[in-house]
Amino acid sequence: MNRWLRQHRYALLVALRRLAQQPFSSVANIFVIALTLAVPIISWSILVSAQPLATQLPVNAEITLYLTMDQDDAAAQSLLGQIQAEHGDELASIQHVSPQSAYNDLLNNPIWADALTTLGENPLPHTLILNLADSPEQAAIALRLAEQMSQLSAVKRVQLDSDWVRRLEALLYFGQIALLLLSLSVMVIVIATVFNTVRLQALSQREEIAVARLVGATESFVRRPFLYQGALTGLLASGVAVVLAILALQPLSDALNRLAATYELQVYLRLPDAVSLVLATFMAVLVAALAARWSVTRSTRF
Amino acid sequence: MIQFKHVFKSYGRGKNILADINFDIQAGEFIFVSGPSGAGKSTLLKLIGGLEPPSRGSVIVKGQQVHKLSARAHPYLRRAVGVILQDTHLLYDRNAIHNVLLPLEVLGLERSVSLKRARAAMEKVGLAGKEEFNPVEMSGGEQQRLAIARAIVNRPAILIADEPTANLDATSAARIMDVFLDFNRVGVTTLIASHDHRLMAKYARRTMLIEDGRFSDRAGVAL
Repeated sequence: MNRWLRQHRYALLVALRRLAQQPFSSVANIFVIALTLAVPIISWSILVSAQPLATQLPVNAEITLYLTMDQDDAAAQSLLGQIQAEHGDELASIQHVSPQSAYNDLLNNPIWADALTTLGENPLPHTLILNLADSPEQAAIALRLAEQMSQLSAVKRVQLDSDWVRRLEALLYFGQIALLLLSLSVMVIVIATVFNTVRLQALSQREEIAVARLVGATESFVRRPFLYQGALTGLLASGVAVVLAILALQPLSDALNRLAATYELQVYLRLPDAVSLVLATFMAVLVAALAARWSVTRSTRF
Repeated sequence: MIQFKHVFKSYGRGKNILADINFDIQAGEFIFVSGPSGAGKSTLLKLIGGLEPPSRGSVIVKGQQVHKLSARAHPYLRRAVGVILQDTHLLYDRNAIHNVLLPLEVLGLERSVSLKRARAAMEKVGLAGKEEFNPVEMSGGEQQRLAIARAIVNRPAILIADEPTANLDATSAARIMDVFLDFNRVGVTTLIASHDHRLMAKYARRTMLIEDGRFSDRAGVAL
C-alpha cells in the first residue's frame, strides 16, 4: 500500500472513530439528514409513479367544432371531408351532428325539453366531433388540432375535451419544479447540518489539530478526516433515507391504489430506479463532503 | 544548521521581546538557552520551529528562511525540527503509543514500521511497557518523556525543548537530560531553554543568555 493510500486509510479510521466516540450525536445528525433527504425521495417516487397516469387513463380525446350559424348541411359535410383528408391519420373517427339531430337529443332530455320549446326555432349549429387516434402525444396533437381548427372561418367555437390531460401534465410539470426547489432546500439543510457538526468537531479537536501541525502535518492531513466524516454522514444518511422512503411508500401506495381503483386505474408508488438513487446518494455524499471541507477550513484557522 | 540575522520579535505595538539577535548554530551542537522568566527564551525556540514569524530579520533553518516558506512547505520543515513545549500537549483521548505514533501517521509510514519505531522511541526514553497507558495515568516526568518520544520518533535533525525539566525532581530531570545527550551524540542538534542553573552547570557546552530581549553567547559557561 503506498503512502497516499495509507494516509487516506488513516483519515477514514479517524473519521469512523470520531463518529463512534459520539454515538448519540452521530446518529441524531444522520437521522436529521436522512429525514430531510427522505422527503424529496418520496415526492420523487410519487411523481415518477404518477407520470404514466396521463397515458394510462382511459382518455377519449375529443375535439368538438361548433360551426357558424350560416353553415348549412352541405358546408358541414364539405368541411368534414376537408378535415378527413388533411388530418385523417391523426383521427380515429369524425362525426357530423346536424342541428336537428342535436335538437332531438336535447328534447329527449327532460331538463332541456321545456327550455327548447319556448325558443320556437332550433338555436343549435352544425357540429363536427373529432375523435383522436391513440398516440403517446395525444394531448399535444389535440392541442395543435384545436388551434388549427379555431382558425377556420366556418368554425365559431372549438371545445377540447382532453383539456384535463393537459392540466394533469401541467400539474406534473409543476410537481417537477417544486421537487427541484425542494431538493435545493434539502441540500441547504444538509450543508448546514454537516457544516455545524464538523465545526463543533473541529473545535473539540483543537488540541489534536495543533499537535498534528506541530509534528509536521499538512493542512490536507488535518482536514481529510473531517471530509471523510462529512462524506460518511452523507452516505449513511442517504441509506437511511432510502429505507425510510420504502417504509413510507408502502402504506401511501395502498391508500392511493384504493382511490385509483374507483377510477378503474392502478397506481403503485415505487422508488426511482437504482441508477437515479445511486446518483442522488453520490450528490448527497459530495455535498456533505464539500460542506465539511468548507467548515473545517473556516474552523481551523488558529 | 540554524542562523539568526538581526532578528527582532514583538507582538503588536509592544516592546521588542527579542532585539537584533544574531547567532549561528552548527549541526550537532548542544546548547542551553538561558534567561529569566519572560526574557524571550520560548519565543526564540518558537522562531526556530517556525511556530512564530520574526517581526524583522531572518531565521534560517537547514538553509531555508523559515518565514519565507510557503504554507505548503512549512510542515516539511517542522518534520525536521522536533519540538517539546513547556506544556507537553499530549492527547488524552488515546494511549501513550498512539501519541507517539501521530508524527509517523503524518508521514504515512507502514503500520508495522511505525509501531516498531514508536516502541523504540518509547524504550529510548525509558517508557518501555507503558505503551498502553493513557497519559493521565503517567507521572509528570513520564509525560515529559512521552512528549520527547513523540518529538524524536520521526528522527528530526534538530530538537528544541522549552523548560523540559520544569517541575520535575532532580532524578527525573537528570534522566531527561541523559535522553537529550543520547540524541545529541548521534548528531541531533539540540537546544534547550532552561533557567535551572544546576542543570546548566552539569550539562552546558554552549549557553546563550537572553535578558531584556538582548542576547549574549558563551561557550561552555554555566550562567
